Amino acid sequence: MALAVRPRFRFEPYVEFGKKAIAREATYRFEVFTSIGSFVLRMYLLRMVWVALYAHNAAPRGLPLHAILTYSAVALLMGLVLDIDQVSSLYDKLHDGSIVSDFMRPILVPLYFFADGTGEVLFHAALVLPALALALLIVHIDVPSATTLATFALSFVLGYFVGFCINFILNCVAFWTLEINAVQLIVTFLTDLLGGELVPLIFFPLAFQHVLFALPFAAMFSTPLLIYVGEIGPDRYASALGIQAAWLVGLAIVCVVLWRAGSRRIVVQGG
Amino acid sequence: MTIIETVDLKKVFRSVVRRPGIGGAFAALFSREYEEKVAVENVNLSLQEGEIVGYLGPNGAGKSTTIKMLTGILVPTSGSVRVAGIVPWKHRQQNGQNIGVVFGQRSQLYWDLPLRESFELLRAIYDVPHDRFAQNMRHFNEILDLDRFMETLVRQLSLGERMRGDFAAAMLHDPKIVFLDEPTIGLDVVAKEAIREFVATMNRERGTTVILTTHDLADVERLAPRIVLIDEGTVIYDGQLAALREEYGVYRTLVITLAENYPEISVEGAQIHERDGSIARLRFNRHEVTAETLIRRVLDTYRITDLAIEEPDIDSIVRRIYTEGYRAQPLPIGG
Repeated sequence: MALAVRPRFRFEPYVEFGKKAIAREATYRFEVFTSIGSFVLRMYLLRMVWVALYAHNAAPRGLPLHAILTYSAVALLMGLVLDIDQVSSLYDKLHDGSIVSDFMRPILVPLYFFADGTGEVLFHAALVLPALALALLIVHIDVPSATTLATFALSFVLGYFVGFCINFILNCVAFWTLEINAVQLIVTFLTDLLGGELVPLIFFPLAFQHVLFALPFAAMFSTPLLIYVGEIGPDRYASALGIQAAWLVGLAIVCVVLWRAGSRRIVVQGG
Repeated sequence: MTIIETVDLKKVFRSVVRRPGIGGAFAALFSREYEEKVAVENVNLSLQEGEIVGYLGPNGAGKSTTIKMLTGILVPTSGSVRVAGIVPWKHRQQNGQNIGVVFGQRSQLYWDLPLRESFELLRAIYDVPHDRFAQNMRHFNEILDLDRFMETLVRQLSLGERMRGDFAAAMLHDPKIVFLDEPTIGLDVVAKEAIREFVATMNRERGTTVILTTHDLADVERLAPRIVLIDEGTVIYDGQLAALREEYGVYRTLVITLAENYPEISVEGAQIHERDGSIARLRFNRHEVTAETLIRRVLDTYRITDLAIEEPDIDSIVRRIYTEGYRAQPLPIGG
């Protein structure tokens, strides 16, 4: 009798999943143009809003106009990269039953979702260059020091991981309810508003800020952005990244627990 | 060697009871009543390495539920299951390496990729050595004629092409066991034959164990000497197809075309099963009377222009078991 020996972990399948996701995204050429188009439009509108708001007010919280425009431009570029539909990939598979195929393969299914989502992100990252070129026609973007840029990049990656975990947890709810649309709406709303993508969290009242910075949503957009524009200075890099990392570890543990419990009670729809 | 073994396997699904109407929908928001449905129960299966077993049953009988427990997707409510020495749901990954699966209704291939890239991805997933991969692809191509559509996106393949691709994908990593769930559904005769040939070849050359779920009994007759019949979640027959045919096939039918208009006919040793104008169908037990004797008796009394003997086909036997249940001593058909 063969013994159930844990198979040696191999990166190869996940690298391939990532590559295939890139290839798949590249086949949807129309989406490439629409996402860049929508990026430019939003950039233009945000510039109008901030310029109009700043015309009658002093710079709030010491964030001058050029800094807020940089903040918005970088936020939109981040959004462009992270604009992936991993939000519903597990949910879709649970809903239409195609999760069955993934469960029968010798792979770690959550890691498959991660590889697939990361492939999409990498493909979208290639769109940053043309988008950035167009953005520079509309606004001036400040370029910080190399250290700040590197810290921003690290924080951005941590933010991506945190965002992945939040989405994954949300999707895992489908193991129990098979419906996540309402929860998804709430989470998307919270992420958009409380994540700092549209409005810097430092514009909120101070008491509220304490709550917002304690939430994982801030770890997704706000932390890397505030590092970029210098609101989080080098003296606070360690603590800012530390909080992101702590959220990542905590949420990853929740992911593992939910996945284990959920995949044992899987009910395959139909057939 | 026993490769698949289940003992008292049971799966119960729990679902929310919905009362009808809008009131019921609102009530369900606040209080939930659950209903338990036993999908399979007391399933004891034992398969030897290299066997091909037809796993049959009407829709909703519990076939897919059993397959999903064997493939590690569903966790049994009680009972035990071992596939190649592994408890599938506990060790999904190891089990995945041992099995290949084809679902006729659901492709395992990657929808957005050309067929060739799907195979390459599967090679990476199952860690198939490159030379073995090349060898398998060559061999599969000989039987399944894959090269014609190797570069086509999977979503653009015809059903027949896609199924050929699915079979190759399931066998690429030389699994010990393959599960085929309605593999020939919707296929034309040529594609069906190519796929049956492929399964037979893999079983012969590689000793692959096959569990075949199908509603097309021609698949079973061609491939599976042994069948397991399941109905309402329990196994009602497990044995050789030939034995079942022997048991249920004791009744044959003599069809005669009468040359004259006889108002009533009666022949000793047979019962008139059907009478439609000049054509009469006489059912007889072949252990009680031989066809020869019966024909002689018919010819002694009546003038006929034609005659034929019908053997019960496997379809009608299985249909009968589905509707009447299995009995070791079947009653005469229509009797």
